[in-house]
Amino acid sequence: MNDTPTDTETLEQLLARTALQDRAAFERLYQRTSSRLFGLCVRMMRDRGEAEEVLQEAFITVWHRAGTYNPTLASANTWLTTLVRNRIIDRLRQRRESTSTETLDLEHLPDEAQGPAAHAEASENAVRLERCLDQLDAKYSRSVREAFFTGATYKELAMRTQVPLATMKSWIRRALMQLRTCLET
Amino acid sequence: MNTPVEPPTDDLRYAEYVLGVLERDERAAVEREIAASSAAAAAEAQWRERLLPLAEQVAPQAPPERVWRRIRAALEFDATRSGAGFWDNLRLWHWLTVGSGALLAAACAALLFILVHRPAAPPIPYMAATITEHNGQVGWTATMDISQARMVVVPAAPQTVQPGRTPELWLIPAGGRPIAVGLISTHAPITLALSAGLVARLGPTARLAVSIEPQGGSPTGQPTGPVVAAGPIGAAPAGGVPATAQLIRTAPQRPA
Repeated sequence: MNDTPTDTETLEQLLARTALQDRAAFERLYQRTSSRLFGLCVRMMRDRGEAEEVLQEAFITVWHRAGTYNPTLASANTWLTTLVRNRIIDRLRQRRESTSTETLDLEHLPDEAQGPAAHAEASENAVRLERCLDQLDAKYSRSVREAFFTGATYKELAMRTQVPLATMKSWIRRALMQLRTCLET
Repeated sequence: MNTPVEPPTDDLRYAEYVLGVLERDERAAVEREIAASSAAAAAEAQWRERLLPLAEQVAPQAPPERVWRRIRAALEFDATRSGAGFWDNLRLWHWLTVGSGALLAAACAALLFILVHRPAAPPIPYMAATITEHNGQVGWTATMDISQARMVVVPAAPQTVQPGRTPELWLIPAGGRPIAVGLISTHAPITLALSAGLVARLGPTARLAVSIEPQGGSPTGQPTGPVVAAGPIGAAPAGGVPATAQLIRTAPQRPA
């Protein structure tokens, strides 16, 4: 899209100007972030039509709520990703209330993680997180990835992997605690 | 790898929320906590910074052009301008809360400039209040839009309240008893709808006050907790520029 000097603007600046109802800034924000966010929508929704709807709703919300973005709490990137993911998760919850879940064999699940080198832009934080995930027991890290990318609840994860609910909870809680420790060091 | 299974601590619940494994009602409960407590919001934000980098593993995909067209259409970018954009501009309200007189004057001048340069906009009857703390620090700023019967209440800075408590906003007419306006946030802008009865009582003789109440608000319909901030409502000066009412905090400030 346009590669003018606007590329030196940070996402935080674009979001601040969006809060001031600057349509041009909002459009540049969309141009800079929509591909990454749409990739996440498609991956999690597994339906392009619904992914388009989620992206559309999310950016409408961004326009209205940019003024509530608090730069001391999160980066603009994190704020946008959270907004999109929360919308996806809400939709998935609604959708799943009426559909049954397929089962899943964690042992034979193709590891969809592409690793830190998956694409060149991976941030330092992504590389660190990947390194910490790799240190976990394989079934823990797979459960965390499966949860993150499918928006599944504990109950759904337990059903899919055919383990008791309590087991799934303890796997994921241990994984989260170990990740927290690993990321702090 | 033999960590005992423990019940989830609060911190772990925020992690579960960010990861997305909680059921709908559990998610809603966590969302309420985050809205009510800045400590909860900070803990949840930390988990987002930890876990969301995982999203970078997904290969970007350009969305079709029609998505942007639909966003433009939904936001009526191609239609004529309406007054809503001005009202919805929370960042502007946030600037109004900065509390310094000079900044306030500058912000009002900026608003006047915006209003004067907006084509064909009718004068907007706004009122506002700065709700100030005991020590003179601005706690919240309230801006009222009479025509749309709503009020935006913005904290000047994240406010500290006891866990399990929530700030509630009251309108105090001259010589009258407090009337509940609604629950407000310690750290985020909140828009409250105003009943016709409330709108009728807004005016330069009325005051706004904030008391600290149990979750869900005062059980009695009158303030039960300490009043921590108060301020008069300013009438809108000629030209439709919003005056501001600042709520000054009245309780002694905790040592930082």
